[in-house]
Amino acid sequence: MIVVRGLQKSFGTARVLRGIDLDIADGEVVALIGRSGCGKTTLLRCINFLEEYETGEIRLDGEDLWYRATPDGVRRRVSEVEARRMRQQMGIVFQQYNLFPHMTVLDNVLLGPRFAQRVSTAEAEALGRRLLARVGLEAKMSAYPAQLSGGQQQRVAIARALAMRPKVLLLDEITSALDPELVGEVEDVIRSLLSDRIMMVLVTHALGFAREVAHRIAYLAEGAIVELGSPADILDRPKDPGLKEFLRRVR
Amino acid sequence: MPPGSLALLAQGAAVSLLLAAVAIVGGTLLAVLLAALAFSRFAVVRAAYRVYVYVVRGTPLLVLALLVFYAMPALDLRTGPYIAGTLVLIVYTGALLAEVFRGGVLAIPRPQWESARSLGLPPLAMFRKIVAPLVTRYTLPPYVNVCVMTVKASSVLSIISVWELTLAAREIIERTFAVFTILGLAAAFYFVMCFGIDRLGRLFERHLALKGFAGERA
Amino acid sequence: MNFGRWVAIYGPTYLTALGWTAVTAVGAACGALIWGCALLLIRLSAGRWGARGVDAYVQLFRNTPVLLPIYLIYFAFPMIGLPWPAVVCGGLALILQNAAYISEILRGSVNAIDRVQFDAARSIGLAPWSTFRKVVLPQVLVYSIPALGNQTVLLLKDTSLLSAISITELTMQAKLLTEQTGAAYEAFIVVALLYLLLVSGTEVLFRVTHRAVRWR
Repeated sequence: MIVVRGLQKSFGTARVLRGIDLDIADGEVVALIGRSGCGKTTLLRCINFLEEYETGEIRLDGEDLWYRATPDGVRRRVSEVEARRMRQQMGIVFQQYNLFPHMTVLDNVLLGPRFAQRVSTAEAEALGRRLLARVGLEAKMSAYPAQLSGGQQQRVAIARALAMRPKVLLLDEITSALDPELVGEVEDVIRSLLSDRIMMVLVTHALGFAREVAHRIAYLAEGAIVELGSPADILDRPKDPGLKEFLRRVR
Repeated sequence: MPPGSLALLAQGAAVSLLLAAVAIVGGTLLAVLLAALAFSRFAVVRAAYRVYVYVVRGTPLLVLALLVFYAMPALDLRTGPYIAGTLVLIVYTGALLAEVFRGGVLAIPRPQWESARSLGLPPLAMFRKIVAPLVTRYTLPPYVNVCVMTVKASSVLSIISVWELTLAAREIIERTFAVFTILGLAAAFYFVMCFGIDRLGRLFERHLALKGFAGERA
Repeated sequence: MNFGRWVAIYGPTYLTALGWTAVTAVGAACGALIWGCALLLIRLSAGRWGARGVDAYVQLFRNTPVLLPIYLIYFAFPMIGLPWPAVVCGGLALILQNAAYISEILRGSVNAIDRVQFDAARSIGLAPWSTFRKVVLPQVLVYSIPALGNQTVLLLKDTSLLSAISITELTMQAKLLTEQTGAAYEAFIVVALLYLLLVSGTEVLFRVTHRAVRWR
């Protein structure tokens, strides 16, 4: 499970996250929604330490991530080597430009296992093919990203993230940049992952999809979680006026 | 045309090409090092990089060459114009290529950096499998441009008595006054070298593009 | 000899040389701009052969070092009955060389102009020459300012090559001083600093001009 406590982050003088507390249970899917600039993407990026944060703790299965308190009480970043190890337990998929254009689809998926986890080539290849088959793209394994549609690229990106056998999958608006007709195939892949009971945190604007796959939805505004609850609670029975306005606008 | 001129010019051209080749190889190695400095964590190192590039790009090549040429005897290095000239050319090419490489690194879209970091790739793997291939593809056209500039720059070294194509031509002219023929031939040699490098570069670019990389960039 | 005394003694000498560098650079830059515009005009209006001719010209000057035209004009002109002073010969070579690059810069800017504007000009009934002068040229010049600034800096540095035909600009002056006094470091470092000053000044000039005439 993931425990976030008291997370605060500023960009210069602007406070982007004001004390986030969030628990994610094993196998739980949490969706983060909110207006642009509310901090949902920043929160996601703090979880896998693509952004540094000034205060707060993030724990994965009991281990403190990213910062350690030294014996004399000073808060220090973990070493690069440690950070890499910690990152391998999480997979992330971005909105676009995920894949490395100079490698085939299969090589993209294999990159992590082979060079970060030192899995043997044979094993990695078998794993890669299995995952590509799972996202429906085994036939394209020798193609280059430029030859794939946006939806296909995103599916490969998901396979690549899964190749690391992560404990949690972080998804940053993965369908926002896609043409509408391609969104479905990506959402299908996410649906199929629910049975794996892997933790997922998704930042999304697709409220219908969030209702379907998320166990809980968190609505963020101005760097804080204003409301947190089941999809039915958040989307059908919103309490916060800001959330009500947000839902009205988006629908 | 005075007898033996063609052979002399051809030899001169070979020397020019050799000078340029050494400068490009040396300059590329230097540029990789410099580009690494340009992205250093330490502000002082980054500032040093900027100063280096500013000075080398803001001073005419001839002035740099003369400075090294006249300064070397003072340092008790009796190595002559060839070493001085090659050194200056390497320094010059290195500065230009460092800026080219730096631009290439900056052109890599952010999500690709972050994907590589998120996969937990160790630094060597990240360089070998991600940074180097991408930067190579992004920087091929400007790199070829700098190669052509280096061949042309080698002619400046004639002024510090490095014997290459331009000096060969000038010597023949001062002997025989066949200005148009000799300079025309010299121009033809340079043209073939420079144009040739440019075409080779385009061929290589097309070869890389065929391997699926359709030039997609941020 | 320390720098302070060096500068005090030879300051005026450097200034004369600086003057020559500046004058040749400005003169050649203006000449190259005019000739570059003319090349552009030829490319745009003289049909396929005009475009091919300009292409050949550009390729010739882009693939050969600038010392060759300098030597050619300097040595050949007296032979064909044009015993012009060295400065003019050198300046002419610089103009011919740089005009090639400038015409390419301008060509890029022309391509950046929306085709719609040409149609609009034609439908108002503007004659081709007026279209060029009033619609195309102003926009092309403004778009090109940054690239032209770069090219001017290159031209400025190329003036150092005029020392090869004995023009007393900055580089030549440094050589002369070195031969007279043996103080190579001082002579050349001062010259290098002066060039850096000129280069930075030129860059600032172009940046300020660009900001002043931009309309979006």
